[in-house]
Amino acid sequence: MQQEQHENMPDGTCSRFEERWTLFIAGELDASEVAEMKSHLVECERCNETLAQENALVALLSSNRVEPDAALLAGCRASLEDALDREEEHGWLRRAFGAVLPVSWISPAPAWSAAVLLLIGFSVGVLGPRFLWHPAASENSQVASQVVGKAGGTTSEGLVANDPGSRLSAIDLHSAQVAGINVFPSDDNKPPQVELRLNAQQPLTVQGTVNNDDVKSVLMFVLRNNQRFDADTRMNAVELLRARNNDADVRSELCHTVHADHNAAVRLKALEALDGAEPQDIIQQTLLDALVDDQNPGVRVEAINALRAMAAKGQVESDAHLLAVLRERMHKDPSTYIRLQSAAAIQDLGPRQKF
Amino acid sequence: MGMSVAFEGDARAAAAVKLAEEQALVRKAQAGDRLAFEELVGRFDREVLRLALNLVHRPEDARDIYQESFLRVYRNLHRFRFECSFYTWLYRIVTNVALDHLRRRTSRREDQAPVPEEAEGGTRDFFDRQPELRPAANPEKHLLGQELGAHIATALDKLSPRERMVFEMKHYQGLKLRAIGEMLGTSEETVKNSLFRATRKLRASLDGMR
Repeated sequence: MQQEQHENMPDGTCSRFEERWTLFIAGELDASEVAEMKSHLVECERCNETLAQENALVALLSSNRVEPDAALLAGCRASLEDALDREEEHGWLRRAFGAVLPVSWISPAPAWSAAVLLLIGFSVGVLGPRFLWHPAASENSQVASQVVGKAGGTTSEGLVANDPGSRLSAIDLHSAQVAGINVFPSDDNKPPQVELRLNAQQPLTVQGTVNNDDVKSVLMFVLRNNQRFDADTRMNAVELLRARNNDADVRSELCHTVHADHNAAVRLKALEALDGAEPQDIIQQTLLDALVDDQNPGVRVEAINALRAMAAKGQVESDAHLLAVLRERMHKDPSTYIRLQSAAAIQDLGPRQKF
Repeated sequence: MGMSVAFEGDARAAAAVKLAEEQALVRKAQAGDRLAFEELVGRFDREVLRLALNLVHRPEDARDIYQESFLRVYRNLHRFRFECSFYTWLYRIVTNVALDHLRRRTSRREDQAPVPEEAEGGTRDFFDRQPELRPAANPEKHLLGQELGAHIATALDKLSPRERMVFEMKHYQGLKLRAIGEMLGTSEETVKNSLFRATRKLRASLDGMR
């Protein structure tokens, strides 16, 4: 009977079992089938050979297999984290867009989708302002955060108010809204003239250079109360305060902004504004904090670059804490660039030791 | 006998705890908890990378498959309804990405043969540049191994992407044909046929090498 089965196949194997050996090796047969196959093996030499060949094939192929090494896995994880960071940054826009027009709807009909999007854009452009028009808000937005190119004849320093007797005080600032920051570049490398317009019970205008303490107070107030002012206004405030980054109050406010501002671009700007400030230990600590805590990779990149720049100038105090932070970043930061820069910084700063 | 029943009971209880933990993680990740998502990735990513690496044989391609797969998981996690295990759902995505990759590669002849890593240009990151600390191999054995590797690569290239995937998942990922069918969105019978075809083709290509 076995011989009959062998004759059914060109290579002489038992036709009934030919494909079942594959399943036998794959462990896909139930107990009764396995028992049947095993008892057949006892009496069929050719099937024994077939089974041995099947086993040899799987073994041969397994000899060529590769196991992902730790470095490749770590690299994959780091790239994925970077991609997830980018995804999170753009995610809200996609979700908002997806809620209006699901991708499954857009994909099959790209031309229609484009037409509908155009129509929506046009409608929003034409009708939106009618619904959103708000006289007071409009007035504020027109003057908010403008950077004006030419001086408008403002020459007086300090406080200018509609009521000449008024003084700039904490109470004024507390109740005031900064309606606009106008910057007028000066000639001869002098600090730019700044005009700050405040909406309070009585409108105020503060004019002068950033060296003026009233101007400084308002700019610092903008940074301290970052929830009340838009990002452009805060960016302008940081940019202007940069010229006074060695003033203890200003430095402290810039460090606070690096820690606390909710907008990554403002935090980045504040980090840049600390360039050259002293004392270096406070700046170094702020940079380290940003390197460890900031969720935004761009800010962390700026922090490690600034640290390396300070190190190159011999301005970094190398201690165990600094090296521990750099080592931790070298191993754990999701960004490959930061890991590399941290390793380089350790080489610049640390004792020559294995890390 | 009694002891084996007890072991089985323990194993079942442990599996249930693991499943509950995994489901809790998935729910957290669905609610936007990035750490939970990263933990899920950490549980499965080595297996995913192994599958990708053994399908495409080039680390950079495996890295692409890894990243594309987990990004798709991240973007679509809100659609996961616990109708199957997370593992099955994840592998459905991974196999789709890998099959797309293999199909694209099949359509580009120049990409078909695995290229030794050393011969390639392009950027490699810090970790890739670190020297491998493997014991120095016997040169003759190394040469034979390379020759054998080239034969096997040629034999594998003769399989269709699906056949290759089924063979890999069955023999080296240790999955049941039924599970593979669920992941590939096809029947167990179709998977079985793919496995037969793959085995037959490989047997013919590698005859004499065993």
